Amino acid sequence: MTHSGPPTRRTGAWILVAILLLVAVLGTLIVPIYARSGPKLGSFPFFYWYQLLWVPVVALLTTTCYLITTRVARPPADRRPSSPPMSGRGEAL
Amino acid sequence: MSHINWVSFGILIFLFALVTVVGFAAARWRRTEDILHLNEWGLGGRGFGTFVTWFLLGGDLYTAYTFIAVPALVFGTGAAGFFTLSYTIMVYPIVFVFLPRLWSVARVHGYITPADFIHGRYGSRGLSLAVAFTGILAVMPYIALQLVGIQSVLTVMGIGGSSTSGFLHDLPLIIAFLILAGYTFVSGLRAPALIAFIKDTLIYVMIIVAIIYIPIRVGGWGHIFSVADTHLKATNPKTGKPNGSLILEPAGYWAYATLALGSALALFMYPHNITGVFAANRRKVIRRNVAALPAYSLVLGLIALLGYMALAAPGVPAEVKAHGANAQLAVPFLFQRIFPSWFAGIGFSAIVIGALVPAAIMAIAAANLFARNIWKEYIRPNASNAEQTRVSQWASLVVKLGALLFVIFVNSTYAIQLQLLGGIWIVQTFPAIVAGLYTRWFHRWALIIGWAVAMVFGTIAAYRLAAPGKPGTHFGASTDTVPVINHTIYIGLTGLVINLVIATLLTLLFRAFKVPVGSDETRPHEFVADPEPATAEPVPAAAGAADAG
Repeated sequence: MTHSGPPTRRTGAWILVAILLLVAVLGTLIVPIYARSGPKLGSFPFFYWYQLLWVPVVALLTTTCYLITTRVARPPADRRPSSPPMSGRGEAL
Repeated sequence: MSHINWVSFGILIFLFALVTVVGFAAARWRRTEDILHLNEWGLGGRGFGTFVTWFLLGGDLYTAYTFIAVPALVFGTGAAGFFTLSYTIMVYPIVFVFLPRLWSVARVHGYITPADFIHGRYGSRGLSLAVAFTGILAVMPYIALQLVGIQSVLTVMGIGGSSTSGFLHDLPLIIAFLILAGYTFVSGLRAPALIAFIKDTLIYVMIIVAIIYIPIRVGGWGHIFSVADTHLKATNPKTGKPNGSLILEPAGYWAYATLALGSALALFMYPHNITGVFAANRRKVIRRNVAALPAYSLVLGLIALLGYMALAAPGVPAEVKAHGANAQLAVPFLFQRIFPSWFAGIGFSAIVIGALVPAAIMAIAAANLFARNIWKEYIRPNASNAEQTRVSQWASLVVKLGALLFVIFVNSTYAIQLQLLGGIWIVQTFPAIVAGLYTRWFHRWALIIGWAVAMVFGTIAAYRLAAPGKPGTHFGASTDTVPVINHTIYIGLTGLVINLVIATLLTLLFRAFKVPVGSDETRPHEFVADPEPATAEPVPAAAGAADAG
């Protein structure tokens, strides 16, 4: 993962991706964060609505990471040099 | 057999027949000339785009585990069962990192199984065999779990069930499995890929209706949670402890987190999930799916809540108790009691078909491992592509038989233990596969020894655990107290740590003594490559590697 694009920008993008993914994992790995009954959302104890809410949050985080990897941090080997920006945008989810 | 509801039964038969027709017809879908090649039978031509892959992987990842085992655990133990939601949340950020690399190197070299990759990367037949063996072994209890799911529905419907005995008892299940085996044999991966559309549609319809309709019928969410709380606080006469808790107790934190993390690390080491990944046509399909698959995790979370609804639904806990306190029956009984019979039929079909799709993919994946990494590697090195495919077709039948034996002989209170047992084994291939995607630092022999020790440790540790309240039983749980740190931890994860420590220490040792490291046919750029989709005319490099592999 070295030869194209400004190296600092690529490194920065990968660090950002790593942080977002780490947040996504730690959100439910650190159980004491959410093993409590309040505050409730409707009748739902915190333990339940927090974890259910974390599903779309993780979807959002991984989608963001996907967009970052296609636009900035894309490894160079797979496409003609001229096409990435165009195809990247066209293929967004 | 007297109280069969014929409306529910008719709908189940109709949808099962539909799926059977689709399964056999799938052989003609996206067909190419060369069906007798594992790229075709075993990987559906490696041509699935984002959309098909989403359904295929969704159909593959979310199984009877999700529809039967998870709500059963929640029904029985409450909050502890929700580690499954946490697990299906954290799996995607984890695999986001390494799965595209695995896809790329497999596409460049024409790898069909994870063991193919290990063989190419480490130049080690032994390590490749270890990975293939683990894959086949771990998939057996997982297929057995699918059978348990189908059986639960049949029992509640009054077909087979506990009133009849012996052969008649299992006959409907055997018929269902023979038909499944038939279209898997003929159509390969195309069958479950196409049926996955029907399956997932049924599942989404079922859960959306259930999550709105059932709370209205049983008295609202507030009532559901309060009934669940009362039930979980009550003392279980068999164990002398409360059944569980609505909010996780601090004593359960470590088990919860390690079960979730261990299961997440294990999920994409399973050969059937890797099969779903290898069938994708482009690299970007993988990461797009990782971003889109959490939609199914939401479904899993909602289905888990069905366990509480079953506690709150009048008559359901009593029915479960009357049937040997088999918690796996909770959701089918809930459907039967609450839904009108036609919709109960749709719910039952969703569970049955939801079990058939992954069972097919699991059998195909295990069969591919046998054909590629055992038959061709050790028995008939000159086996042609056609012969490998034939062997794989027959092996898929044998694997299903093996799973039938598993379900008969491994008796467990919670079917989820079957999946957790598979996880204890399969996660031991994580170091070789995932580390191998980044580095050749680990020595192949060190990886084999680490794997072997962890496999033996995990099997013995799980064997010694009795099911709660049933002394003398085996494989009854999957978490155990780790002496030094004094916390309850998933055995799979403890095994993985042992595995990694041994592999690291022995690598240092073998490197110091300059033990040969083996050949490596991969090149760094291949891990990020994105070759054009394989067509009728495959890329020469890929075809060559497939034949040589």
